Amino acid sequence: MSNNLNAFPVSLFFPKSSTSTVANKTGTWSFMRPCYLEKTAPCSVHCPCGQDIPRIEMLVSRGQIIAAWRTILAENPLPGTCGRVCFHPCEKACNRGEFDEAVSINAIERYVDDTARAASISAPVAKGRAKGKRIAIAGSGPAGLAASYFLAMLGYECDIFEAAGEPGGVLRYGIPAYRLPNDVLDREIARIRALGVDIHCSRAVDPAFIGSAKKTYDAVFLSCGNGASMKLGVPGEELAVDGLAFLRRAKNGDTAQAMPVKPHGSAIVVGGGNSAIDVARSLLRQGVSPTIVYRRRREDMPAFEHEVARALEEGVRIVELRAPLALARVDGGIELKVRKMRPAGIGADGRMRVVPDGDATEVISAEALYSAIGAAHAESWMVPPDDARVARMSHSAAFWDAPAGIPVLYGGDPVNEDESVADAIASGKQAAIALDAFFEKGAASVNAEIARCTVGDGTSLSMEIYLGGPRAKRTGRVVSFKDINTDYFSPSEKTRGASVPPERAIASFEEIESPLDAAGATLQAERCFNCGICNDCDNCRTYCPEAAVAALRAGRQDDWSTEAGPAREISSDYCKGCGICVAECPRCAMIIEEQQS
Amino acid sequence: MREVLEGSQAVAEAVRLARVKVVSAYPITPQTHIVEELAKYCADGSLDGKFICVESEHSAMASVIGAESGGMRSFTASSSHGLALMHEMLHWAAGARLPIVMAEVNRALGPGWNLWVDQTDSLSQRDTGWLQFYCSDGQEVMDTTLLAYRLAEILNLPVMVVMDAFFLSHTYEPVDVPSQAEADAFLPPYEPKFLMDTGNPYALNEVAPINVYMEMRRSIQQAMEAAPGIYQAIEDEFYRQFGRRYGLVEPYRCEDADIVFVMVGTAAATARVAIDSLRAEGEKVGLLRLRMFRPFPAAAFRAGLANAKKVVVLDRNCSFGVGGIFAQELKAALYGPAAPKLYSYVAGMGGRDVTVDTIRTLYAMTRDQDEPAHESLWFGVHEEMLRS
Repeated sequence: MSNNLNAFPVSLFFPKSSTSTVANKTGTWSFMRPCYLEKTAPCSVHCPCGQDIPRIEMLVSRGQIIAAWRTILAENPLPGTCGRVCFHPCEKACNRGEFDEAVSINAIERYVDDTARAASISAPVAKGRAKGKRIAIAGSGPAGLAASYFLAMLGYECDIFEAAGEPGGVLRYGIPAYRLPNDVLDREIARIRALGVDIHCSRAVDPAFIGSAKKTYDAVFLSCGNGASMKLGVPGEELAVDGLAFLRRAKNGDTAQAMPVKPHGSAIVVGGGNSAIDVARSLLRQGVSPTIVYRRRREDMPAFEHEVARALEEGVRIVELRAPLALARVDGGIELKVRKMRPAGIGADGRMRVVPDGDATEVISAEALYSAIGAAHAESWMVPPDDARVARMSHSAAFWDAPAGIPVLYGGDPVNEDESVADAIASGKQAAIALDAFFEKGAASVNAEIARCTVGDGTSLSMEIYLGGPRAKRTGRVVSFKDINTDYFSPSEKTRGASVPPERAIASFEEIESPLDAAGATLQAERCFNCGICNDCDNCRTYCPEAAVAALRAGRQDDWSTEAGPAREISSDYCKGCGICVAECPRCAMIIEEQQS
Repeated sequence: MREVLEGSQAVAEAVRLARVKVVSAYPITPQTHIVEELAKYCADGSLDGKFICVESEHSAMASVIGAESGGMRSFTASSSHGLALMHEMLHWAAGARLPIVMAEVNRALGPGWNLWVDQTDSLSQRDTGWLQFYCSDGQEVMDTTLLAYRLAEILNLPVMVVMDAFFLSHTYEPVDVPSQAEADAFLPPYEPKFLMDTGNPYALNEVAPINVYMEMRRSIQQAMEAAPGIYQAIEDEFYRQFGRRYGLVEPYRCEDADIVFVMVGTAAATARVAIDSLRAEGEKVGLLRLRMFRPFPAAAFRAGLANAKKVVVLDRNCSFGVGGIFAQELKAALYGPAAPKLYSYVAGMGGRDVTVDTIRTLYAMTRDQDEPAHESLWFGVHEEMLRS
């Protein structure tokens, strides 16, 4: 300031006090008290494995891929598999779906597992305190693998007995390689073996084994799968090729030359489930033109929607509303006589019923016919007996007082309502938790223990909650879309990894879906609302008019703690209970309640 | 460097040269070009500042109040309804003694919707404790913006730099743009006399009981009273560096004038042409352009009009029930037995043109009228419309 300016003293008396607002204990005004209370995200309720999806997405969005991977592995032993083949009911339940589009949870899961695999991270799962008990498991499909994994986690010794030459069950022999390459599965199985699980292949279990299991084992878990194809129940049935057997051979690498239909030939596939789609698409890859014949409408097919769509793109024909009547051998192939059907209203099961559309019939010809109308358990001892003592749970059944003298539990497709890999895993997890509860606290405690670790209001279970991990502190209250403060989100596009174009896809059994890249995965994970959990966004602290919120973890964006749970603390000295923090929490990780005197 | 700039760009350029750290604004025609330009500067890094987007002018002012309280040199701009919505926060900015600078583009208030020049918006804010400067060309808004930061930061009072809608905000003119080094030499980095500091906590703007409130208001008035002198000292420095000065009021051919126009903004530039033509005809007429309106430079007016017999005030505004606001203010400043006769005209509201002919007509009316009317006379109104 020049001398001239100094000649003008400026008065500056205004409201400023050296006594800071620290002296003003605004907390004394309060009759309401906000607090952090993490809740349950709908995706995790609908994930049969009960995965902590909001937290997984949060970790991925911060680039903490390994921490995300560990979070998945806490609830699911097969992330590489599920990241590829899961029907992802989580995405249907995703609150973001009401905003723009669901989060790409499935693609992100695959990205996480691929990244961990590329980094050669070793099995991070800790084995629990040894319980001194051995469990025999029949079948090494997803249910058996999951049961052994979770039992090992809980401190049990497990032996898996597998009838086939290699472990994996339907994952190895049912799902085609273009959806699930064997090396992905091998790595997941290696991780389970690393926990000390012994898998004995080419060793089928039978009733005699169960009867004498007591000598070596403390319990048996039967997860033999649905290995027997259902019959068409029409004349000429014996001319049909078993679709499941075909898939098994295709996965083994048997080429078209060894198959009933040679390249450039045509085939009929009867069925509308995932197996029918898998058979048809595998045939395409062997140079055969498949036609799916299905008795209901295309939209009624039990196969996953995206699989049906992809099959059509690749060139599978679907003939709907045609019910097989008879098969006959003709020169150079097969003739399938079908009856025309028509929709006849929604049935008691919620599905569209079909009835014959008059007497009209048609004949469809091809070189061979593959039957893939579903499968059932191969033998009656593989499912729970019709006995009142059998405790039936959502994904498993337990016969605690089985005649074998040790508990016998049942899981996998034969007991599950939904035949999916994720449901099979849920089955193994439920059996493991039930067994541990039984051994630790007795049969009477099992239901309560299952309820204690149930995610939200659904049926999926959380091992982390069962073990009393940080997730156990959350409430089961499920966050809905209206709980989300959408002011903090902008519409953005959902993306998955790229797919090989159909014309290239059908040239081989190579995997057709590429994973998301790192930038894409981060962007997609950032779309997650993180329903119900604190992601340190700091809105509560930023908007608190009394500066009553303190950060317990200092966090730079690139140095996040992997510690779970809210890292904020509200000072009761200054919180006046205005509730701004709760209103501005984008993800419903807080509540406000009347203060208890 | 001499550049051809829109009036709005001249303001934005001055804000960049002032190294403002925080800009917060809500767009409103005709202010929009100013903030668009600043948003661009913040985005491309040519201004190392943060542009805070807000949902209203009230919040824009609240944001710059916050920024200034944290010791950041800040800027906002508004107009018309936007300024009206800021009203509460304008009082706050002054009461909190924050040296905020804002550009205010004079625009009419609705209804009826009108985007064009009218001074009622800024004059409605005359009692908020803000200094007000009215500019008449692009060079002047640029220079006044730089001067405003110097002045505001010495006084700890906010300053409004006012400019006409479109006639100034949207008109391109050659403007001398100082280099950054020149601007820095004139306007040093902001050194706040107080700021929110977690290391040295205290309370700002808390309750002021009966025993201190009036003193706080007196303090604002004292700072206002010091403003004209301080401004002139600052302008002396500016003149030494840049060779330009404007004054609190700017006289034009007033020396021997019997009739002196008092005008504001771009219309005053038009008046200069009219006065030249009248002078060529032998009329003794001059112009005293009002630049500083708050604080009102009464002494400068008394001196500037000491020899005038008649004073003509042209108001592009109206305080309904009284008349032209500048005329009232001037009447009060000149009050006394020696005061010249004051002729008050309301004209050019809502963007209606004030032309050389307008000035010449008003001159003739004033010259031929021995006594002024008690009320402001409305000039150029189509009275027949009012009868319908």
